[in-house]
Amino acid sequence: MSATTTRAPRTPAAPPVGAPAPPPTRRSLLALLRRGLRDQARAPLTWGAGLGALGALMAAIWPSIEGSMEELMRSYPESLKQAFGIQRLDSVERYVDAEMLSLIVPFAAAFFVVRCVTRATVGAEDRGHLDTLLSLPVSRRVVVGAAYGVAGAALATVLAVFWGMTWVAGTIAGTGISATTLGAGALNVWPLAMAFGGLAALLAGVLHRPAAVTGLASGAVVAMYVIDLLGKLSDPLRPIRAVSAFRYYGSAIQDGFDVSHAVALTLVGVALTVVGALLFERRDVL
Amino acid sequence: MGAAIIETDRLTKRYGTARGIDDLSLAVAPGEVFGFLGPNGAGKTTTIRTLLDLLHPTSGSACLFGLDSRRDSRAIHARLGNLPGEFSYDDRLTGRDALRFFAALRGVPDLRRAEALADRFQADLSRRMGELSRGNRQKVGLVQALFHEPELVILDEPTAGLDPLMQEEFLAVVAEERERGATVFLSSHDLDEVQRACDRVAIIRDGRLIAVEDVASMRERAHRDVAVRFGRAVDPHELAAVPGVVDVRADGDRVRFHVAGELDPVVKALARHDVRDLEVTRPTLEELFLTYYRDGGAR
Repeated sequence: MSATTTRAPRTPAAPPVGAPAPPPTRRSLLALLRRGLRDQARAPLTWGAGLGALGALMAAIWPSIEGSMEELMRSYPESLKQAFGIQRLDSVERYVDAEMLSLIVPFAAAFFVVRCVTRATVGAEDRGHLDTLLSLPVSRRVVVGAAYGVAGAALATVLAVFWGMTWVAGTIAGTGISATTLGAGALNVWPLAMAFGGLAALLAGVLHRPAAVTGLASGAVVAMYVIDLLGKLSDPLRPIRAVSAFRYYGSAIQDGFDVSHAVALTLVGVALTVVGALLFERRDVL
Repeated sequence: MGAAIIETDRLTKRYGTARGIDDLSLAVAPGEVFGFLGPNGAGKTTTIRTLLDLLHPTSGSACLFGLDSRRDSRAIHARLGNLPGEFSYDDRLTGRDALRFFAALRGVPDLRRAEALADRFQADLSRRMGELSRGNRQKVGLVQALFHEPELVILDEPTAGLDPLMQEEFLAVVAEERERGATVFLSSHDLDEVQRACDRVAIIRDGRLIAVEDVASMRERAHRDVAVRFGRAVDPHELAAVPGVVDVRADGDRVRFHVAGELDPVVKALARHDVRDLEVTRPTLEELFLTYYRDGGAR
């Protein structure tokens, strides 16, 4: 019997009474967020406590090195101070900023977010989990959105743990560390890292291999840092800083929290995620 | 045949220059257990993944419940259960946690049916997915495909890794799904499994649909290989004259031939002689395909 002779009439099958409708998007999103946050339950302990321990160490040793800081600063070349955004090292907050918030914490936070977004999208595809997840009544847009949301929430807890441990250590050591100033520094990391999370979501919309997405997004973190550094060191190169997310990160502890830059970075992250989600919906899941 | 539950129209999927499926048109009726048979790499999984909107067709279209597989994928997925060929989910989750998560995404309030199915398949829902063997993971996969009583169940190589007892249990569950009124689309490379479970069978090879047949017709077409050792040499022409017997080859007291159709006249013809040994085997999938090609069944 030929296949073509067995075709049924092309009439849509009427949905039977009580046929399940897809659950509201809000419910799918909440279920994915809950699941994702449980997956990231250890992040505050691993990433947060790791960064927090380093921050706490910096805050705790401040009283013992405070006196030598002025001399140390005088010994640094002006270009070096400019490159790393060190204007003065006359407070524990500025010291933590120079040691932790100028490089280590933003890099770690960006890698953490890239890893979160990649794992929930291309990583799940690579492990074959998306075949199961996407045959449920869940849209791909919601999967990408939830991945970004989980990354944002998990990063907030990581930064909160870093802030809390650093502040407690500084307080115990009698440094007079300001919770507000340190908090502004930690909060400032979030939009920067989420911008790179958006980049990871964008890349997940076109690439199929998690290593490629992680590599390219992480490479962008390093490249943008280097671009910003070169722009700070060389006047002719200063305009290229405009393309670097680190240019808009700055230093909330030294210069105050720049709301417009934080909002801009957040919007960039969200916009990249939206585009990534649309691309993810249009591509094959391999 | 009523309105089709699954209908594809010249569905084609290519991966760059590589072949996936080509001009595949078929229809599956409501309440039917439809087998999708083909060797590994024939395009079975590509077809299923295209139906599920995991892959987007290069050309052609697919409708499930009369809804477009791309545009209406969420509405379609709410009404079906799917077991992927290699079922896996987060290794850190227990089977029960994974099922709770799937139930939340489907809006299913409780896991009673899931627990009952897990009991039947002897699936251990308390262990982490990463600790389960392939067969035990497959059992959890079967539970997640069936626990919400979907109208359509799509199963890609469902018995891979299951022991023979569980394969029997699976066939019993498929029969119950049919009684419940569900439509089952079962992909397999196991001819015996498909013949036992299905009403109709589509055969796919190299991405192209070769034939769609009732299982009963297929059984008639599917020859059996018969090898007989007699007490003394037998005239092969006598056996060749038996209805359905072809390709008779005699070698002393041993005779081999194919039987297409009923075995009864063959058994009666053999019973007139002193039979020392008798072996009847079903054709392999490849042999079955050759039958289709030889008989002009290929499209």
